[in-house]
Amino acid sequence: MAVTRKTIVGVIFGGRSVEHDVSIVTGHQIMNAFDTTKYEVVPIYVTHDGKWFTGAPLCDIENFKDGEITSYDGVKSAILSPDVRHHGLIVNPLAGRFSKSEIRRLDVLFPAVHGTHGEDGTLQGLFELADIPYVGYATLGSALTNDKILTKQVLKQNDIPVLDSIFFTRSEWLNKPESILQRLKDGFGYPMFVKPATLGSSIGITRVDDESLLRPAIDIAANFDRRILVEPAVTDGIEINCAVMGYGDDIQTSVLEQPLSWSDFLAFEDKYLRGNEGMKSADRIIPAPLSDDLTRRIKDLSIQAFKAVDGRGIVRIDYLVKPDSNEVYLNELNTMPGSLSFYLWRETNLSDSAVVDKLVTLARDAYADKRRNMYDYKTNLVALAAGRGLKGAKGTKGVASHN
Amino acid sequence: MQLVFIMVIAFVWLAGTIFRIYRQARYYQIEEYKSNRYIRWLFSERDRWLPTRPVGVFLVGMIFAFFTDSIPGETSFLPYIIHIIIAALAVYPPDEGEIKKAFVRTQRATRLLGAAFFLAFLATMLLFALRQLAPIPTSDRFQAVFMGIGGIGLFIFAPIWLMLGNILMTPLEGFMRRRFIKKAENVLAVINPKIIGITGSYGKTTTKNFLRDMLNGRYKTYATPKSYNTLMGVCLAINNDMANDYSIEYFISEMGAYVEGEIQRITELTPPDISIVVEVGPQHLERFGTLENVAAAKYEIIKALPQQGLAIFNWDNPYVREMYDRGYPDNRIAVSRELSPDNLPENPPRFIASDIVETLNGLSFTVTDTETNQSEFIETPVIGIHNVTNLLLTIAVCVHEGMSLRDVAFRAKTLQPAESRLVRQVTDSGITIINDAYSANPVGVISALKVLGLHQSGKRLLITPGMIELGDMQEAENRKLGELATQYASDIILVGEKQTAPLKAGILSTDFSQEHLQVVDNLSDAIDWYKDNLKAGDTVLFLNDLPDTY
Repeated sequence: MAVTRKTIVGVIFGGRSVEHDVSIVTGHQIMNAFDTTKYEVVPIYVTHDGKWFTGAPLCDIENFKDGEITSYDGVKSAILSPDVRHHGLIVNPLAGRFSKSEIRRLDVLFPAVHGTHGEDGTLQGLFELADIPYVGYATLGSALTNDKILTKQVLKQNDIPVLDSIFFTRSEWLNKPESILQRLKDGFGYPMFVKPATLGSSIGITRVDDESLLRPAIDIAANFDRRILVEPAVTDGIEINCAVMGYGDDIQTSVLEQPLSWSDFLAFEDKYLRGNEGMKSADRIIPAPLSDDLTRRIKDLSIQAFKAVDGRGIVRIDYLVKPDSNEVYLNELNTMPGSLSFYLWRETNLSDSAVVDKLVTLARDAYADKRRNMYDYKTNLVALAAGRGLKGAKGTKGVASHN
Repeated sequence: MQLVFIMVIAFVWLAGTIFRIYRQARYYQIEEYKSNRYIRWLFSERDRWLPTRPVGVFLVGMIFAFFTDSIPGETSFLPYIIHIIIAALAVYPPDEGEIKKAFVRTQRATRLLGAAFFLAFLATMLLFALRQLAPIPTSDRFQAVFMGIGGIGLFIFAPIWLMLGNILMTPLEGFMRRRFIKKAENVLAVINPKIIGITGSYGKTTTKNFLRDMLNGRYKTYATPKSYNTLMGVCLAINNDMANDYSIEYFISEMGAYVEGEIQRITELTPPDISIVVEVGPQHLERFGTLENVAAAKYEIIKALPQQGLAIFNWDNPYVREMYDRGYPDNRIAVSRELSPDNLPENPPRFIASDIVETLNGLSFTVTDTETNQSEFIETPVIGIHNVTNLLLTIAVCVHEGMSLRDVAFRAKTLQPAESRLVRQVTDSGITIINDAYSANPVGVISALKVLGLHQSGKRLLITPGMIELGDMQEAENRKLGELATQYASDIILVGEKQTAPLKAGILSTDFSQEHLQVVDNLSDAIDWYKDNLKAGDTVLFLNDLPDTY
């Protein structure tokens, strides 16, 4: 029996985030990529308002419309249990007299949730509690790369070139807008980008070409986040993306791509919904037309950055490059890139199924590393506390006898 | 009034009988409720089945009572009083002496005791009935004598009530067993872990623990605790610890055998995906007869594998190597610590240990994967040369399940010996104690003696009752052990004069000074001696510890 047992992968998609709909697409691309002779896929869908479901119909994207499930036939409520013994889902958790809850063991978790509550370390925290191997960045790496301000600081520390920036908080903006405007004017000229510190997929980001747009742009960003980042726009550069996959010392990079819509900045729809398979058919050049030297440099930087933010699993790193002056700036790390950058890996001679296969292996490797840590360290603290009486009012004399 | 006295006599005997049943149950339990084995134990010493003091007290009391007169037809209390005193003195429980393995009050034991107590009570009632029916003179003396004889019979037959109770409970126990096994089967079906079976005459528990600790570095692994290796033991482990734990990916099932077919029954409950055969040796030989029978019993664990399963063999043991050569299943891995990687036979074992070094800090060796030609240096705090084999078997499974040799080497650094298997500790007074109290066997004892020999700072004391259950080979193996011991130990204490005779002969066949050899009756005498005579820097090796039935 167990010799031929398939690996059970729980793919989580949807999520309480503005990128909910995109995640449904990514989730289904991942589920379709698995080799069904080796894997059994369990779909786990989190609705826009945060309800969790599982069930076979969720595997079919036809059952979704406008970011909703069209029918709940065969779909059951489920939660991912933080109790390590469950090692998976509790299906139908609030069972009553006539229904039964059951445990659905999951061998590996594969999050496909973009942005908030998915890419920011919160979901990963639940995975850690559940003690189940999972694909992608761990709690710290996810939380870090989700925050543009902190990411810049960490990258700078590691000598990875990033654009200058100024950041401030929403309350600073509300209380002293003039002083912030002055700081920005002194800092760098137009055009500039105003961004919320977190969130991906260009949401809340505005390019500001002159003073008239600066205030509304900051207001927009302040609606999405408590912390706001402003950086100069690179006008004479091109965007270059590189996907990285790995764990520990085993890290590989994909071919580089140059998305062509750079000159006009990617609108949200443009970034994801052109064509039917995410970014695949957006206009792009693969491999990016860069000198071997620059290509090599970007790939090396990618590996360096991957390690700097405690990377694992997969990431797509976006750069701003000025080929003429040989300048490269790391712009962003996407720990849950749209479509997992399948289109880049295909050009790197890795099939979709090879990519998900590799990611599951990496998840197990990372989990094995966690298992190597010790969690049992015997102390006599409880005995001491018990001897003292928990309130510690008296009985310190009793301690000696408990040693 | 007469009836009251008779009832008191009966009550004292019954109370004594019940207590005797309770004490006998401990030995019955050690013999696993097997009446033939228990009877063999019972009759191997007269005092066990016919205890001296109760019988003596009874006989003397009877003679005394004979001279105290009572006139037929008249009422006299004296015979009754005498018989109450006889009964009380006879049944007063003796000191039990040293208890190594206490009685475990399992549900089954409780049911058995209940049945046995009930039978003893029933027998007492029968005595009363007989007293009414039988043509016994109504004189007080005869009445008292009748009850006295009945009482001592009741008392002597305590083992009978116990065994009858067992027979009485057999249908119920069978039902409970089947229910318990069914429950374990259901748990396994739900959790569905990969199952690794381990068997061998010895080395099972250590290999199991090594494998659990190593594999746990990558997969959540659960192994049967301690030395649970019977069908019921494995069931207990599953029902207690695995139920509702969906996180378990690997289950290691230790399978022991006292008779043929036992391993097969365990594999029916826990069908292995991977099977490991550690050693075939003379352990429990008196129950198997020949080593070939032992090997046949162990091979059941290989037969239970599916065609695509994996089998792992200790190539250094000729019986195990023969299993490897038989060719089932397709996927087989052998390991060896005796071959040299420079001089391999055709179709060599896959994992070879070389450059084995043993110090007081542990073992180190180089493991070579002859299939990939990769090598890795292994260091472990575990001592005992035979553990190299146990480690190689562990490594074979881990590598097959996707761990790298490097990873394995990392984990090996933190391995610990299994309970009472070459465990070393230093006492407050600076004496090093090596505890190798579990099932000493011809392979393990050599390892243990070598470890003792590594301690060069002071006296090296060996305390041992010798090896048992080796059947025809027992005498020769113990003699060999005696000869070998003199090479490593500076002082030897033998525990138990009778069964250590071959050992003593072996020791005396060398030029070992008789001043350094002692024979004592029990372990506590040996411990007293070393406490008085050893000082800091000295070392004691406890080699084997026999069950209470020896």
